Amino acid sequence: MRTRRSDATGRRDLARPWRDKLASLGTHPEDAETDVVGGFAAGAACRVDGAVPGRTIAEIPVGLDPEGVAVDVARRRAFVACSRSDLLAVIDLDSREVIGEIEVGAEPIDIMFDPSADRVITADAHADAVSIVNAETLACERSVAVGSYPSGLTADFEARRLYVGNSLGSSMSIVDLDSFETIAVVEAEAGAGAIGVDSSRQLAVCVNFIAGNATFVDAESFEAVGLVELGNGACAIGIVPERGEAFIANSLAGTVSRVSLDDRSVLEELRVGRAPVGLTVGPAHDRIYVTNRGEGTVSVVGVADGLEWGRIPVGEGPGGVVVDPHDLRLLVANAGTGTLSVIEDLLNGPRAERPAEERSPLIGKLLPEFGLVDFRTGEKRSSRDWAEKKYILNFFASW
Amino acid sequence: MLVDIWEGTDPRPEVERFCELWGIEGTILVDDTAEYARALGIRGVPTNVLVDEHGIVREVGATELGELYAAVDRLLER
Repeated sequence: MRTRRSDATGRRDLARPWRDKLASLGTHPEDAETDVVGGFAAGAACRVDGAVPGRTIAEIPVGLDPEGVAVDVARRRAFVACSRSDLLAVIDLDSREVIGEIEVGAEPIDIMFDPSADRVITADAHADAVSIVNAETLACERSVAVGSYPSGLTADFEARRLYVGNSLGSSMSIVDLDSFETIAVVEAEAGAGAIGVDSSRQLAVCVNFIAGNATFVDAESFEAVGLVELGNGACAIGIVPERGEAFIANSLAGTVSRVSLDDRSVLEELRVGRAPVGLTVGPAHDRIYVTNRGEGTVSVVGVADGLEWGRIPVGEGPGGVVVDPHDLRLLVANAGTGTLSVIEDLLNGPRAERPAEERSPLIGKLLPEFGLVDFRTGEKRSSRDWAEKKYILNFFASW
Repeated sequence: MLVDIWEGTDPRPEVERFCELWGIEGTILVDDTAEYARALGIRGVPTNVLVDEHGIVREVGATELGELYAAVDRLLER
């Protein structure tokens, strides 16, 4: 069972512990204009290729384990799927404040906005369903059953079809975007999740995390037409149809595969930061943004040159990323810190210095002592228990 | 050993599910507020910290498989 926190009135305030934590760390949502590295005055909006690749406009506490982000451009709102809070945080993008919370199904991971129907749709992994939310009333209107553990969503708005990747079902559900009737269920592979659609090629590409490949499906006949082997932990996709290319993040390999949609082959592997899990294509299709869960950064990668132009620090454990078309700012869901970062990309092209993860200042120093509870035995374990041994601490999160 | 961080809710069912999915059987320590991870400057997952027999940190990061194998070889002086 999930634990839920309530305040004295019974209204849930799941973001409160995270707000308190951020406050204790000296990070406040009111600190709205904070340079990433320094050197830019608040309000600078143009891309200048200066000393910093980007700057943080705001970091907004939202809830537990935020994974997906969607934007309602007309209302200047963002919706953040907080997977461990089982809700959507609604954010006013002008005031940068949480203005509401919407309960949806268990463990919402991916999210999208359907502007023509004025709806928000979430993939609720633990509920084996998608939730349909009215974007005007902010009410969750219905839940629609799909396959087992849905974790990826996309839509073909012209064809009015919703595509859902069912990770444990190893399948892709195709649902009518208006009636929400299931049109087809297509077999994919283990860990089916993120999906990209190229309507000009009538092609849907389902990325299979556990299998480490992508299933190509004819969007008219719903027949599988190809399989492309990718890197380990393939988990996010963006499509640039005019180039006939898909970009797929391989989280365990630390790469992005450039894939030809016509040849159905990998053209090249692009290096990004550690554990890339989220990806979106910039509105001008000149760059992609890749969130690096392993190091708390976003890589900016050129679509044409395949080079990593820069790496922008965000919150801890970043995942879902979108671009707000209104002001081209990045919205990044940080699963570790429970926040949404609002980021300005200041890059115009590759910087002279190649981006790299900073060397940890811990290297060569004595590991600070720890006292942590053993999950299996309940005993408190100390670093002294491993004295005079060589060992690896693998920090992980179960989400 | 594994260190579970950033759970936010009761970690037990989530960690059990995770271990079952990935076949993990080793020691798991819980740092659910990530206080210890943050003290080490860790900003993401997964992150590996390799420690030698003197308690000195030799590598931080090393998540890609080839990178991890190389780091282990260095730690074991192979």
